[in-house]
Amino acid sequence: MTKRRSVTALAAGAAFTLLLTACGGDDDSDSSGSDTTTDDSGSENSDTDNGDAEEGGQGSLTVGGADFTEMSVMQEIYKALLENAGYDVSIQTASNREIYAEALVGGEIDVVPEYAATFGEYLNVQANGPDAPTDSPVATTDAAETVEATRPLAEEEGLVLLEPAEAASQNGFAVSAEFAQENDLETLSDLAELGEPLVFAAVEECPDRPFCQPGLESTYGLEFSEMLPLGFSSPQTKQAVADGEADLGLVGTTDGTLEGLGLVLLEDDQELQLADNLVPVLNEEVAGDQAAVDALNELSDVLTTEDLAALNAAVDAERQLPEDVASAYLEEKGLL
Amino acid sequence: MTRNDWICREYVESRSDLIVDALREHVVITVMSVAIGFVVSILLALTIRRWRRLAAPIFGTSTVLYTIPSIAMFALLFTVTGLTVTTVVIGLVLYSLTILVRGILTGLDGVPADVREAAVGMGHDGVRLLLKVELPLALPTIFAALRVTAVSTVALTTLGVLVGHGGLGQLIFQGLQSNFRAEVLTASVLCVLLALVADLVLVGAQRLGTPWRRTVS
Repeated sequence: MTKRRSVTALAAGAAFTLLLTACGGDDDSDSSGSDTTTDDSGSENSDTDNGDAEEGGQGSLTVGGADFTEMSVMQEIYKALLENAGYDVSIQTASNREIYAEALVGGEIDVVPEYAATFGEYLNVQANGPDAPTDSPVATTDAAETVEATRPLAEEEGLVLLEPAEAASQNGFAVSAEFAQENDLETLSDLAELGEPLVFAAVEECPDRPFCQPGLESTYGLEFSEMLPLGFSSPQTKQAVADGEADLGLVGTTDGTLEGLGLVLLEDDQELQLADNLVPVLNEEVAGDQAAVDALNELSDVLTTEDLAALNAAVDAERQLPEDVASAYLEEKGLL
Repeated sequence: MTRNDWICREYVESRSDLIVDALREHVVITVMSVAIGFVVSILLALTIRRWRRLAAPIFGTSTVLYTIPSIAMFALLFTVTGLTVTTVVIGLVLYSLTILVRGILTGLDGVPADVREAAVGMGHDGVRLLLKVELPLALPTIFAALRVTAVSTVALTTLGVLVGHGGLGQLIFQGLQSNFRAEVLTASVLCVLLALVADLVLVGAQRLGTPWRRTVS
């Protein structure tokens, strides 16, 4: 008995400390975060029929998809847009594409934000087997082409892809701002012109991935003296580039923390990377719904990679809530 | 919050709504799972007592279910029940069976034969024998199994994140993905506290349910 009591006391003590210790660093973003959280009270319990709103702007929709920061922000943006168009919207996440894609096909989820190339090849594998992406790829470096090639595959599953945004979440290649300025670098081609062997911080599999080391060598003629297996856009990779331990780092193009660490992205001017542009994917029952389609396409017209990076940074660095970040962005763009 | 400290009151204050929602979902899933698992297990244990031949298949099945990796379990159940709390609850109920059925059966089998004979001699039989004599004497063993189940269910609930209903697990995984320490630690601590509270509640219930043992301990 006494043993258990001391364990309880210990845990209670830990919780108490948690409640009492402030973490400082107060800034306005946090308070604005809590202000708007109450706004969505009406949208929680929207369990009525799905997608039966023929005359636009009625009925309830479920926005879904993966649950990492970028997707959370995109889901909140979709939700705000669709609510603005008159729908009741709820969000239902899942941790894997295999799961939420199936829920989307089944109609349990109505709308999912996706990456064009990745989703295209996912459907390609589903339809044509695991070798399809190499044998008959649908994804190219062009977003419109990729979406066009994916549409027939999506149609077979009862899914519809809307227009892709300019924003793309791809492999990005970062150098330190200092290094870029000294050598007047803006693109990966500029970097190749230096003709120096580089230390490259990236994922362990980078030497085997066509869009990583082999692609950089064959497309740009870059040479590498050493590979540091520090992960994709991980804090370690970014720190290594910032500290000068690595010349080049593999990061996400929408990573919002790059600027703060003194890193800049080099443009993929030879278009090595596939077009992982953000594109709304709808269940076909909802896709007949013009109000919903229009609302989502409006976003694709304005969303850029820089916007997405800033939105990610607001959540991951400034610790604002995705829904606040989303509505602030839409208001700024005049979409609400 | 921007300093990313492990402990952060501001996080708890500014997101109390989200934390309370996650905690509520966690409690609902855990309580439902253990309660349903307990009822199902009692029925299975009684089935085994009536037809001993079913013991091997029932134990075998529940053990096999227990060995299914939780991610696979939720992914399989998802195809039937979708992205719902039900998916998580069914999975957790299936996991609870192996411990609960064995616990209940061991408890019932542990009732001394002479006690049972005496009870029969006093005119108890069937349901009365079970409810008045056997179950009360089996309670300590049953509660031991319940406590293990409750604590492990609290922990397993977090994996419901796979279908978007992981209670505090939603916050833990979200925090891990965005390197948000306060979110990870706060949700984890709440998880531990929840397990301790569940255990204490069951200890309390056991003491209430077995008044004759209080003087002994």
